[in-house]
Amino acid sequence: MRLPEKISALLKRRSTLVLLLVPLIAVGFALQAFGTPLILNIYTYFCVNLMIVLALQMFMGNSGILAWTHVAWVGIGAYASGILSMAPMVKSLGVPNMYPQLVELQLPVLPAILLGGVVAAIVAGAIGWPLMRLSNAVGVITLFATLIVVHVVMTQWDNVTNGPRTFFGLQEFTRLPQALVGAILVILLAHWYRESSLGLRLRASRDDRFAAMAIGVSVVQVRYVAFVLSALIAGISGGVWAHFITSFSPKAFYITETFLLLTMLVIGGQGSISGAFTGTAIVTVAREILRQVESGMNNSGMFSFEVYGLTELVMAVLMVIVLIWRPNGIIGGQEITWPLLKRKNRPDDGAGTDVVEPA
Amino acid sequence: MLKVQDLYASYGAITALHGVSLEIAEGEIVALLGVNGAGKSTTLKSITGVLRPVKGSITFLGEEIANRSPESTVKKGISLVPEGRDIFGSLTVEENLRLGAYANYERARYKTDLEEMFQLFPILKERFHQAGGLLSGGEQQMLAIARALMSRPKLLMLDEPSLGLSPAMTDQIFDLISGLHQRGTTILLVEQNAERALEIVDRAYLLATGSLEFSGTPDELKRKVDIASVYLGGDDNDHCEVHL
Repeated sequence: MRLPEKISALLKRRSTLVLLLVPLIAVGFALQAFGTPLILNIYTYFCVNLMIVLALQMFMGNSGILAWTHVAWVGIGAYASGILSMAPMVKSLGVPNMYPQLVELQLPVLPAILLGGVVAAIVAGAIGWPLMRLSNAVGVITLFATLIVVHVVMTQWDNVTNGPRTFFGLQEFTRLPQALVGAILVILLAHWYRESSLGLRLRASRDDRFAAMAIGVSVVQVRYVAFVLSALIAGISGGVWAHFITSFSPKAFYITETFLLLTMLVIGGQGSISGAFTGTAIVTVAREILRQVESGMNNSGMFSFEVYGLTELVMAVLMVIVLIWRPNGIIGGQEITWPLLKRKNRPDDGAGTDVVEPA
Repeated sequence: MLKVQDLYASYGAITALHGVSLEIAEGEIVALLGVNGAGKSTTLKSITGVLRPVKGSITFLGEEIANRSPESTVKKGISLVPEGRDIFGSLTVEENLRLGAYANYERARYKTDLEEMFQLFPILKERFHQAGGLLSGGEQQMLAIARALMSRPKLLMLDEPSLGLSPAMTDQIFDLISGLHQRGTTILLVEQNAERALEIVDRAYLLATGSLEFSGTPDELKRKVDIASVYLGGDDNDHCEVHL
């Protein structure tokens, strides 16, 4: 095969990636050249959210387990990378009670962010095995309880996190280029993982746990690997986020944020990367518009009271509508491929004709 | 090849198997018959390791496999086609087949095995990129069998492959099973449709309430047991009487 043919074959086989990456990069470049600071900020935030949501997709989308703990790994990554990257003087100013050993640490930002991911992965790895043995309702409740435990530790351990108070003074490392590169890498990783033998086995266990066992899938093991890998990426994304936002408190890693991430994932379709991508884009845009509307309403004095919570309300209604209209999300469980409108998964006319209902 | 000796298995307090023994030689096709609740599926579950037997031994190619994990039994070469066409509905046909191959994966072999499956089941080639859940019942059963074959099993176990299929589709599936046997696959077939099963097997075991009632060739079975009786797949499935 000649080179152009090879390239076109590759593009065809990886058309999902092309369809996601090309617009992402193109818009990124366009905004970098022409965008206002506000738009740049929103796009950067979108890229960071994309990293976090795709990390969530890697575990939750492929395993079908509602991952309440996800935002906890983001938080651990954020705190760990912050503690590692901040200058000792800033740290002792911001967190007066911090352990002296931690105050002395200082690394460049990028290694600090990566190590933050490793810390999150280690915590997830230490507690993940028994959690992955549980199924359905029990598993979900246990994961939720784990989120509460992590949250309590974050709000109480003021030698590390400054307790419930704001943790501030991080360097502003994440700008659009860094966030864009991060998002591209995570899209590639999530795609590779979904198609890999590990991801495929995990998806099989989601569809039918016992059939998966019968063909030799070790369900607990594939779930565990996904859980730890997802925590690693979530932790790294948390570090990227922390060095974008530069100051935060444990509130940022709790139920409100979890719902936001879940909305992003579920609206688009948790089973596919295209779905996670689309959902994140829709929610980001909708949120910004609603925020403008909300502040516009308050500033114009249209109402005698202050409008509050419009964003959350509309997001919740949006989620309900999407789930009624398309239970698997806007994109659904299959990746989008080129050509866009070829519905190769359309139920065939002959489907089901030779099934006889048991008497 | 497979030897089950004095197998006891239970679900909590309820004992489902009371000392079942059976044997399958290489290249044989053997049926395991019986009514609902006789212990057929329990026997298969114990062999694959999904259910841990209480007592008894299961040897496969001279090696003890009772209490092994399901993953290791698949690696040893025992493949189960579960009851009710347990395919992965949201995965494509291609992904279903690839999953079957992963148990004993060799990249070089995958392509040729796939071609072989296309010859056996041409329909799967047509539906290669469709989600498994969108196939018809018979196609799903074929996919389930193909998926099991992709791991190149030494012993293929089929749990009620004709369940819920139309008569025409049932014929097709039975032809296929006997075709697989002629190609040299060792098969353990669990069926309620005893009459159909007895046409294609070398030997049969008859289970009733957790213990072995009879074993022998189809002819012997037909002579000793009243085949026309409802019990073995006649037209009235309400009775469960055995006339030995």
